[in-house]
Formats: sequence, C-alpha cells, structure tokens
Amino acid sequence: MHRPYRLYAGVRFLAASDARRLTRAVYTSVRTPPESASRAGWSRPIRVSLNVVLLGLTSLFTDLSQEMVTAVLPIYLTFELRLTPLQFGLIDGLYQGASALVRLVGGLVADRRGKYKEVAATGYAVSAATKAGLVVAGGAWLPVTGLVFVDRIGKGIRTAPRDALISLSSEPERLGTSFGVHRALDTVGALLGPLVAFAILVWVPLGFDAIFVVSLAAAVIGLGILVLFVRNREAGSDEERRGVSLRRAIGLLRDRAFRRIVVVGSALGLLTMSDGFIYLILQRRASIDPRWFPLLFFGTAVVYLALAIPFGRLADRVGRAKVFIAGYAALLGAYLVLLTGAPAGWLVAGCIGLLGAHYAATDGVLMAMASAVVEAPMRTSGLAIVTTAVSVSRFAASVTFGALWLALGQGWPVALFAIALGAGLPFAWRALGRSSA
Amino acid sequence: MITRARIAAFAAICVLAVSAAGAYVVYAAGRDRAIRPSTAPIADQAPDAVGEVIDGPYIVFRSTAIDDGYGRVAVVTLDDPGGERAFTDLVCDRVDVAGGRGVCLTRDNFFGGMTATIFDGRFVPVDEITGPGLPSRTRVAPGGVLAAYTTFVAGDSYADTGFSTRTFVIDLESGRELGNLERFETVRDGERFDRIDFNFWGVTFQNGGDSFYATLGTAGKTYLVEGDVSSRRLTVLREGVECPSLSPDGTRIAFKQRSDDGFGPVTWQIAVLNLETGEVTVLAEDGNVDDQVAWLDDDRVMYGLYRDEGQSPVTDVWVVPADTSGTPEILITEAWSPSVVSP
Repeated sequence: MHRPYRLYAGVRFLAASDARRLTRAVYTSVRTPPESASRAGWSRPIRVSLNVVLLGLTSLFTDLSQEMVTAVLPIYLTFELRLTPLQFGLIDGLYQGASALVRLVGGLVADRRGKYKEVAATGYAVSAATKAGLVVAGGAWLPVTGLVFVDRIGKGIRTAPRDALISLSSEPERLGTSFGVHRALDTVGALLGPLVAFAILVWVPLGFDAIFVVSLAAAVIGLGILVLFVRNREAGSDEERRGVSLRRAIGLLRDRAFRRIVVVGSALGLLTMSDGFIYLILQRRASIDPRWFPLLFFGTAVVYLALAIPFGRLADRVGRAKVFIAGYAALLGAYLVLLTGAPAGWLVAGCIGLLGAHYAATDGVLMAMASAVVEAPMRTSGLAIVTTAVSVSRFAASVTFGALWLALGQGWPVALFAIALGAGLPFAWRALGRSSA
Repeated sequence: MITRARIAAFAAICVLAVSAAGAYVVYAAGRDRAIRPSTAPIADQAPDAVGEVIDGPYIVFRSTAIDDGYGRVAVVTLDDPGGERAFTDLVCDRVDVAGGRGVCLTRDNFFGGMTATIFDGRFVPVDEITGPGLPSRTRVAPGGVLAAYTTFVAGDSYADTGFSTRTFVIDLESGRELGNLERFETVRDGERFDRIDFNFWGVTFQNGGDSFYATLGTAGKTYLVEGDVSSRRLTVLREGVECPSLSPDGTRIAFKQRSDDGFGPVTWQIAVLNLETGEVTVLAEDGNVDDQVAWLDDDRVMYGLYRDEGQSPVTDVWVVPADTSGTPEILITEAWSPSVVSP
C-alpha cells in the first residue's frame, strides 16, 4: 500500500489577513446595532448574520452531496467503469489549471456585476446538474469523467463569490467568527456525505445510481436555500463596479497588505504536506489496520468542526494573523509528532488533534484576513487570487513531497518539511504579525 | 427576503427532493435485492448436492446468476461444467480451493475492508483473517497448506491518483500470516531492488515446495517475479507480465497484458509465456479479460468475462486453448473466479 491517498476531501484549506486594516474595508450591510460592533467577548453569544448561516447550510447540503460522490468515486471509476486510475489522475491534473482560470473569471464577473449570489448559484447549479448527469450517463466512462471535470469547474466558480458574500454579510469585527460558522456547517456536510453513501451501498449493493440520486436531492436542497433565502449584498457604487477589470484585480497585488497575505499564504502552502501523506505515515507508524483509515479523516474533521468557531472568534479577538500563524505552528507540531517515537495512541491523537486545529486556525481565518484588506468592490477577485495562489502552492507541495518520498523514504521528507516550516514561520510572523499585534 | 411564499417554495422543494430520492433508493434496493449476499438455504437443493459433486474432480467458482445463489460459491463436476451447479453456504468475491482447503475473499461493505475466510474440504469455515481494501485475487498452493491473497486499496491524493495493492502469504493450517510481499527482499539483475512504490499482486504457486510467481508493479511498469516463502526473497524474471497463472505441468505461465492504446478504459488480452523458451503467444480471445486466468488442464485456460461491460454484475466463465488456435467458448454461464479441484 504505497501510494499516498487522500480520503474524502472534506477538509479545506485557505485563508489569511491583516486585522488592523479591517476598518478600511467598506461594509454596506451591517445589520446588527452599533453597540454590538465592539470586540466580541467570550461571554457573548455567537452572533453572525443570518445570511452567513444560510450560506453555511447551503454548503452543508452541497458538501453532503459532493462527499457522497467523492467517497465512492474511486471504486465507481475503477470497479464499475474499469477506468485506469492513471487516466483519472491526468484529468484531475487538468482540472487544477482550468479551475484557477474559472475562479478568476467568476470572481471578476461577480465583482463587476455585483452579482455574488447569482454567480455562486451558477456554480452550485452546475455541480447539481452534474449529479443528474451521473445518473443519466449510466456506465459510459467518457461522460462520467467529463461530468467529474464539470463538477469541479462548478466548485471553482462558486467558492470565491460565496466567500465574498460571507464577508460582505459580516461586521468587520466578526469576520473570523462568520467564516468559522460557515466552515463548521460545511464540515458537518462533509462528515455526513461518506456515511450516507456507504449506508446506501450496504442496503443497495449496486446502488451507485441511488447514491447519485440522493446526492442530486441534497444538491437541489442546498441550491434552494441559496436561491430562495440568501440575500445578495451591495458592495460599492455602479461606478466602482464598472472599474472592475482583470488589470485592477492583478493590481490588487500592488497593495502591500494584500500581497503579504498572498505571498505568506502561498509560501506556507508550499511547506504543507497533504493530509493524505500524513495519514499514510500515521497509519504505517502506528500500524493502524487500514480498514480504519477513514477514521483518521473523520477524526480530523471532527476536531476541525469543534474548533472552527472558537478559533474564528479567537481570531477576531486577538488578531487573525496570530491565530493563522499559530495554526501553522500546530502543523509543525503535527510534523514533529510524526518524527517522534511516541506510542501509537499518542501519535494518532496528537497528529489528528494538531491537524484539525491547523485547519480550524487557518482555513476560514485566511479568508477573513484577505476579506479585511480587499476593498469591497474587488472582494471576490481578491479572494479568488488568494485561494488560487494557495491551492497551486499546495499542489506543488504535494508533488514535491511525493517525489521526495519516492527518493528518500518516509522519514526524511517529513524532517525536511518540518525544518523548512520551522525556519519559515518567523518570517511569516514578521510579514503578517507585526502589523496586527 | 424570507417571505412566506419562499418558505412554502422551499418546503415544496424539500418534500419533492426527499421523496423522489427516497423512492429511488427503495426502487434500487428492490432491484438489487436478489444480489444482496444471503446465506439462507437454497430452495430445491438436495441436502448433499455439494458432496456428490466434490466426490470427483470439480470446478469451484462464484455464481453470478441473479437469483438466491448470487455471490455464492458453487461447484460443478469437471466432466460436465455446464451441468447443474450445487451451491455451498459460502458467499465470496474470489475463491480458490486446493488440497482440501480453500480461501474465500469477501468485501466488508462499510469501510472497504475485506475478510479472507479459510475453509475446509467440505466448505466449512475454520478461520478468518481481516484486512484492508477490496478483495482482488486469491490462490491456494497445491497441497493446501499455503495460500496468498491480494487486496486493492483505492484512493487519490492531490498529486497522484492511484491504486495500491497488498499481497499476503498465509499458512492455512494455523491461519497465520506469513508475510506481506512488500517486506520480502527483491533482487533484479543480481542487485537489490527496492522502491517505495512497490506493489505486488496475483500470486501463482508452483507445484510442491513454497515457491511462487507474482506480479511486481513499480513506476508504471510490471514485472514477473519468482520467489519463495522460506527465504523471503523475490527475483525479477522479466517485464510486462501481469497476473501470472502457472500451468499444471509447470512449463508455461498464462497472464494478462495491456491491449489498449492508453486512452479510455484499460483493456487486457491473455497471453501465454513459455518458461523454457521465453516465447509469448497471444490467445484467441478478443474480449477484455481483466482476471487472473486459471488452467482448466494443460491445454486450456479459463477466465471470467462481464456480459455487459460496466453495467451488469453477471459474468460468464469462458475457455480458450492455450495457444493461438480455437475460439473462446462459454464453459460455465453466470460464473466467476473458477478453479479446477482434484480430490
């Protein structure tokens, strides 16, 4: 069992920002009374805009839909359609490129028209339609792989406008909390998806079509919440929107605070082993019966779910950059735990706990940081640039780690990544942290 | 704006989506009911139907007819493979029997784990080993003391979508695992050969002793290896041989080789390697054989083929001469994972 594998892609990454510049951002949609705009205290109840909760529920159903399919896709493609994994890998790689392009275009369109909700809804609708397509395609391999590709395009379209809408629906002081709430709801869907899919397979042995139908139903419900209940937000005047262009989007990088977020986010992304590798090493080191392998993913997602909101609130209180950097310190901790000779139980608990904490402290928080420094009319484009930069760097990290793994075995690459991350963190802290201490 | 009308519309969407999905799942469950593995007694089968068949030489296989016996291990006499099958109580994805013992691989549904059940000459389970992945291949060595099984672990990563396989050798007398082939030492051209992406599958045992052949996959290439359990050492023999199957007389290896152009689903054809001359002969089968073929006798090989590529779980066992001659014929309808057993 040598190849690295990622189980269900429930855990997301991405996010970074500079808390001091929060006030510069233009918010046209503060719905809560002014006195609550003071720093959120622990004793206060979690308060986020209804729009954020609704977007969270949209993501919950969409992720439920998505992860049902993702969980069974390898079995479906290789056992039912008898497709070579290598070819699917190629298609997967192709998506990386197309997705980046789609994200930027989607971001520009959403900003220029001010239609965050509509662009996001298009992305969700495209993904829902692919589920219907999977039912109809039957067992033909070409349509199926095409649909998987289209589904990922849909995901590329929707992410940035959705995150922009979350940020535009939040008070600047509560951006971290808002993203925390959204990611927590999203993770609930990601956790439930594989369980629902496997439950169907137990009852319906050849029930891939049944899985696609249920997945379609969940996607339609998620889309329904978005279309019927989520409110679009205004960001900037018509005139400001007309000024949105690719050149201006690229021009965002001239802004120091934004550039720092992109550079630090990508640099840290380059030092991030994919969770698939971490699980694989854990499984070998702790001699876990691989049949329980999905529980590693599950455990990480549960920790992420539990910590997403508290860490989001903490970020709003003490500074997002601090929490973000602490999140990468947690990742470094996970690498170090992997390198120790700790007993199996401690090894697994330590790694899963730290990895979950890493996601909770970095994923939504990066988006909150970026949202705080990108002016509202350019918000979607700015977030699209950040997510694209980080995901490209993470992909590069995976390829690098994979190559090191093949050349050096499992110990050295982890040590190298740990040393590089340990050396890089102080620089990241200096770049981000100083300004928001 | 959250209006009453929108709430009503949403409620309608939910009711429609949930009821449509629910109805479809119920329909699919009904459709697949026949192929849900069951160990209930088969109606209309004489109490010792199996015993009568296994008195003489027989073929053991997995029945794929969509009826009460779907997924069951069944037997037919070697003289009349097309005749009536007798069902055992075992439900397996892959099965093999030799020397009075057998191994049955089953897929545990939930987390994709699998169970290797060791059974005796009367198909009564005596031991089981659980492991990761999905059942792929199993072979029992002549003599019935050693066996090997292979499982598939599916997955993907950001950089690499792939499969890995694990192959274990087990001792059927004690039910102990004797080793994972990845932990054996591999030698190529006299030098130690070790890569982290090694995968092994498709063991075929030699007659007597503990030697075997298997496939090694690494860096996109496949190799035929020969090894033995006691020295835990494997030697690379040649490239491009996958899922080997040794002929009863030990002189030839039937195997599958790629026949597609690299675009679309992989397709396979069967070939036979003469171990003495190194000569490779492609057999007269045009279909896509993705199976570890088995020898019916020294002149013919048999293998499973799907009836309807990618759509139906029904398979047939076909037979074709082990040279370029003849044409493939169905040996056993609605069957999979065949193997000849001589008591």
